[in-house]
Amino acid sequence: MMTNEDLVRDLRLSDGAARRPYLAGISCTRLASFAFTALALGTVGALTLIFILQSLPVWQDEGIGYLTGGKWFYRVQTFGALPMIYGTLTVALIALLLAAPIGIGAAIFTSEFLPARVRLAVKITIELLAGVPSVVYGLIGILLLRDWIYELFARFDLLSGDTLLTAGVLLGVMILPTVMTLADDALRSVPAEQRRAARGLGLTATETVLAVTIPQAGRGLIAALLLGLGRALGETIAVFLVVGRQDNNLPANIFSPRAWLESGQTLSSKLGGSETNIAYGDPLHWAAMVGLALILMTMVLAATIGGAWQRKTKYAPSI
Amino acid sequence: MRRASNVIFPALCGVCALLACALLVGLVFVIAQRGVPALSWTFFTDQMRQVGSAGGIFYNLLGTLILIAAALVISAPIATGLALTQAVYLRSASARSRLGLFLYTLNGIPSIVFGIFGFIVFVKFFGWGKSWLIGGILLALMILPTVTVSLIERIRALPRKYIEAATGLGLRQSQIIWSVILPQSWSGLITGSLLGLARAAGETAPIMFTATIFAGASLPHGIRESPVLSLPYHIFILAQDSFDPGVGAKLWGSALVLLMLVFALSMIALPFRLRLHDEAHA
Amino acid sequence: MMKLMHKEAESHDTTASADATFRVRNLNVTARGKTLLRDVNVSIAPRQVFGIIGPSGAGKSTFLRCLNRLTDLTPEIRVSGDVRFEGTSVRDPSVDPDALRARIGFLFQQPVVFPKSIIENVLFGVRRLRRLSRGVLAEVAERALREAALWNEVRDRLNDSALALSVGQQQRLCLARALASEPEAILMDEPTSALDPKSTQAIEELILKLKERHTIVLVTHNIGQARRVTDWLACICVRNGAGTVAETACCDALLENPQCQEVVEYLGSGSSLP
Repeated sequence: MMTNEDLVRDLRLSDGAARRPYLAGISCTRLASFAFTALALGTVGALTLIFILQSLPVWQDEGIGYLTGGKWFYRVQTFGALPMIYGTLTVALIALLLAAPIGIGAAIFTSEFLPARVRLAVKITIELLAGVPSVVYGLIGILLLRDWIYELFARFDLLSGDTLLTAGVLLGVMILPTVMTLADDALRSVPAEQRRAARGLGLTATETVLAVTIPQAGRGLIAALLLGLGRALGETIAVFLVVGRQDNNLPANIFSPRAWLESGQTLSSKLGGSETNIAYGDPLHWAAMVGLALILMTMVLAATIGGAWQRKTKYAPSI
Repeated sequence: MRRASNVIFPALCGVCALLACALLVGLVFVIAQRGVPALSWTFFTDQMRQVGSAGGIFYNLLGTLILIAAALVISAPIATGLALTQAVYLRSASARSRLGLFLYTLNGIPSIVFGIFGFIVFVKFFGWGKSWLIGGILLALMILPTVTVSLIERIRALPRKYIEAATGLGLRQSQIIWSVILPQSWSGLITGSLLGLARAAGETAPIMFTATIFAGASLPHGIRESPVLSLPYHIFILAQDSFDPGVGAKLWGSALVLLMLVFALSMIALPFRLRLHDEAHA
Repeated sequence: MMKLMHKEAESHDTTASADATFRVRNLNVTARGKTLLRDVNVSIAPRQVFGIIGPSGAGKSTFLRCLNRLTDLTPEIRVSGDVRFEGTSVRDPSVDPDALRARIGFLFQQPVVFPKSIIENVLFGVRRLRRLSRGVLAEVAERALREAALWNEVRDRLNDSALALSVGQQQRLCLARALASEPEAILMDEPTSALDPKSTQAIEELILKLKERHTIVLVTHNIGQARRVTDWLACICVRNGAGTVAETACCDALLENPQCQEVVEYLGSGSSLP
């Protein structure tokens, strides 16, 4: 089994053993590689710096009230992001409530109870479906799902089918393939001999899953949920189309599920709207918009990096 | 009790799996069912007419292809550089893992954030206005982790004997990279690019403020003020604005074409991925 | 003299099979169209160590896994023929394979401990198979660890991770884990091949002690080990592309005076001698 370290050592050896030209250590390939790496790092660094700098005015103007304020009226220069933070967290929570049990249950089925060949077929299909663009989900949401939600909850006298719940359900279906395929990977990474040993002791397949596979895949399963959460938090287009985009809608009790049937606004749906174009001329308004992007980025990165940490793989998923 | 739970639990999981598959396959089925009537030869060759309720999607499809082609051309060399740095050049394990964390971070940045970033830097600061090139750059940035990681995995899976053989010949490091490592791992670049492009093709958020408009553009003529039409933005705008049944058919048709494009890109990547899978488990 | 012992072996094979712990008749195993085992017939008497030797890849492990239906876990494997455990066919529809496996302990080539504490490992199976009180469980754990000759080494650190144990200790922990649920028979698949000589010796001593109360089926690569611990030996060799029992005899007879050409070749190949 060759590890990366071996490869690197081999290459270094070869570098030393070779007939070195005059400019030892300087090769175009190496320079170009480092230059491109620097370019990528620099771009992301610039991105972060620009977002921090351009949002500074709103932090200076509103202080912590920017995060805790419930009112956003740009004409009178009042900027409170809380309703949008609430909206983002709520739709992501609904999405996770839907995707977590179904996704992990389905992953347990594919990884523990399906023969390898069928499992591969299901996995390929699911990964293919993970690529369905968000605008297509949005289309389904706007033309079908919001009507269903409107009719299903008719007795609650909904104003429209554009609700936080609609957005959450749509997102739940959207992140389902991600959660499912990552959870399946996590479960499959538990060595087969562990299962065999438990079965050899006389445990049933179910007991083996519950006592051996799930505890050992625990971190991977949490990672699957966190990465799904990251996707749900950052998703723009599908949410934009069905969430109603109603500003300043903060319920009296943010834990009441009744509030899920109201229209709302998320950080991303706000950023995706026309206000982004309007805001650019006004430094404070623009700072407030960029600040939303910064908050969103922080939330998504917390979930994604948390997921990466749990997963212990140091790389991005290849999906 | 034990016997019963051993029936109920798998059944519950099976129901979850069925539900998941039914939801997702049903979704594709709905798009296909409603989109197929709109498909015709002229749908692909004609330009959009009457605010989307007539004509075809020629320039929209072309615009999307231009955007992803630009993303491919921009991301491939950068991803190669990053992968070589990560898998070959960097010597300390901690530096390698920090670069890996960077890729994870980049992968986690929401697409709308890229859009706002592009708007600030290219549209306003550089004064390019909306341009296809900005879209290409932003999409390239977005898919960079996918492409890079795919290439890194391929490089890491290279059999040791190739490196040993090349070392035995006394080749220099850069010669080994060009003569052994890259030729043997290009399929990783292809796979990653295809998967990345499948994602990029359907993205709306990064390009809506920076690269694409709804109507009034054909082929790009330069860089400044040179937007393109695109499929996802087309669907995005029509979905919001119109309940005209004529638009409806065109709308579902456009969604179906986009979906087919995305599926085609990931399907082409599939054999490469399966081959990698087989080799990893051989 | 040797001839006589072979006669005895044959008579054991046929007449004593009524009270045999395992009785295997016409066992055939195929996987993906390839025959792994063909027409295997063996009877394994209670409270004895029954050794199985033979070249690599002949199907010794597969045979062992047929005895407690561990083969079920590999979907492509097809088993036909009659395998009886204590008189009942293991593939009888009324037999619950999980309950069957609970009555038959299994020791793998590599020790497989769960990433939990030592005590949790010992009780892993038994606490789920039977409803026992806390106090009884503690007694069960101590008894099992004593039987596996591990108690004195771990009594002070029962709550430490089992992964910290040496490989030899881990294998004895696996044995304790199997013994905790009081199996009637124990199947061992080359249990010492991953161990150092000292741990190997410990396991061999345990085997000799355990056979007072358990039937043990031991697959081994090590002829010396077979000589030291087994009472009966079967040699599984490849014949016409599939594994089959070339010869069954009491241990000394088979090793000193093999009758079958395949067995002679296997024993003579040298590489498998200790």
